[in-house]
Amino acid sequence: MPRQDHKLYRILIAALAASAAWIGTAAAQDAHTLETHAGNIPAISGGAGYIHNVNGGVTSLEPQINPVLLVPFGSHVLLESRTSFSGFFQREDLTTGPFKGKVFKSVDYAQVDWLANTHLIASIGKYLLPFGLYNERLVPLWIRNLQDSPITAAIGTRSSGAGDGIMLRGTAIQSSAYSVQYSSYFSARSGINQLEAARTAGGDTSIYLTGLRLEAGVSYQRFLQQRNINSVATYISWQPRATPLDLKAEGDFSYNGRGYWIENAYRFEQLPIPPVFRKIQAVTRIQQFFPLHGGGNSLPTVSTTKVDFGLNYYFRDDLRFVSSYARNFSTQGNANVWNVGATYRFMFPLWPGRK
Amino acid sequence: MKRILLSLSVCSYLVVAGSMALAYQDQQSTKPVTAAAAHPQTPPARTGEQVFNDNCSRCHMPPMVIPPRITGTVVMHMRTRARLSRKDQELLLKYLAP
Repeated sequence: MPRQDHKLYRILIAALAASAAWIGTAAAQDAHTLETHAGNIPAISGGAGYIHNVNGGVTSLEPQINPVLLVPFGSHVLLESRTSFSGFFQREDLTTGPFKGKVFKSVDYAQVDWLANTHLIASIGKYLLPFGLYNERLVPLWIRNLQDSPITAAIGTRSSGAGDGIMLRGTAIQSSAYSVQYSSYFSARSGINQLEAARTAGGDTSIYLTGLRLEAGVSYQRFLQQRNINSVATYISWQPRATPLDLKAEGDFSYNGRGYWIENAYRFEQLPIPPVFRKIQAVTRIQQFFPLHGGGNSLPTVSTTKVDFGLNYYFRDDLRFVSSYARNFSTQGNANVWNVGATYRFMFPLWPGRK
Repeated sequence: MKRILLSLSVCSYLVVAGSMALAYQDQQSTKPVTAAAAHPQTPPARTGEQVFNDNCSRCHMPPMVIPPRITGTVVMHMRTRARLSRKDQELLLKYLAP
């Protein structure tokens, strides 16, 4: 073995030993018992809903349910999986005839997490790709303020929105004023049914300013199949303390195009209006996309601008009525998009037990 | 049509920007004088309620109730999703199921 390789191996072994010692020390610091009444039995969580969508005059009926299975093994290992059952029904001739369609089912993620310590959570299996704000955090229908995905949602999430392999994540630094979080992953290529994924590597890091409730982050992905493509996203998210506002914005850059979206959602809970109207949430989103190299890969092939207006009504924190109107502007033709529906979030133990 | 909608969007963002400025002003003016403020070297310790309100609302409406028997499981899940620290997990558990 050449001398240079010996040196490289020594450096690698030293780095591994140092990281193992660091993880061990942190784990030892974390290992203490906590006296609470929190139960750790398996649970089913998730969302269900129905959306009536009219896009350019074509009606779609979209019921769906997305249960999340959570099975803890002790206090450091968690098995979690989300499955989507979504129906898509349209009229036979798009605008006339009876409704026909089918129900699609897919495993969005199925992973085992090892919560080693503050700085390290290792996930193995099929995991959601941590790219930008949308894919990992805002996809569930009971979370998203507007039911239509941003145009740039396909950037950095090819080919299935998930990766097969390993992901490391955690809090890198935490103080009373801010915390810095990270995720990094490597995904292998897979064509196995329900485990489809592309060969990719990437990561995400963000800083959260506790006092301001402001988060800013950047994501990177290297697509390692066929043409190697770099994708980058930068984002901010802000929920000021004094006002029930939720502001999110993201800019995405990739070989196939670049674009941005800005979304704000304001709840009327502090307005001097009758209590029944204080459960309304008004949402606005503006987004633009500009294709590069012809676009494609689930992205528009022409420049597109879209503005969305939404009104949601929260009957409870877990049940809401949703509605939105959007206008899509592109050289392929402008179109109106309407959405009306309801979403529900559920959460219950997997089996009955002692209280 | 495009101009009208774009102008509407710009107007709504101006309104939002205004409300943000007001919110920030409110935050500055209504901040109570606490012991920690008097001694800036010792920032106040975070409570479970703060961790709950700050972190849950980053993505979704915070839930009003979590069944105690699954609180530990749900908090483990959210620790993974939101990349929370072990300390934040403990504060959340103490707050949600004391």
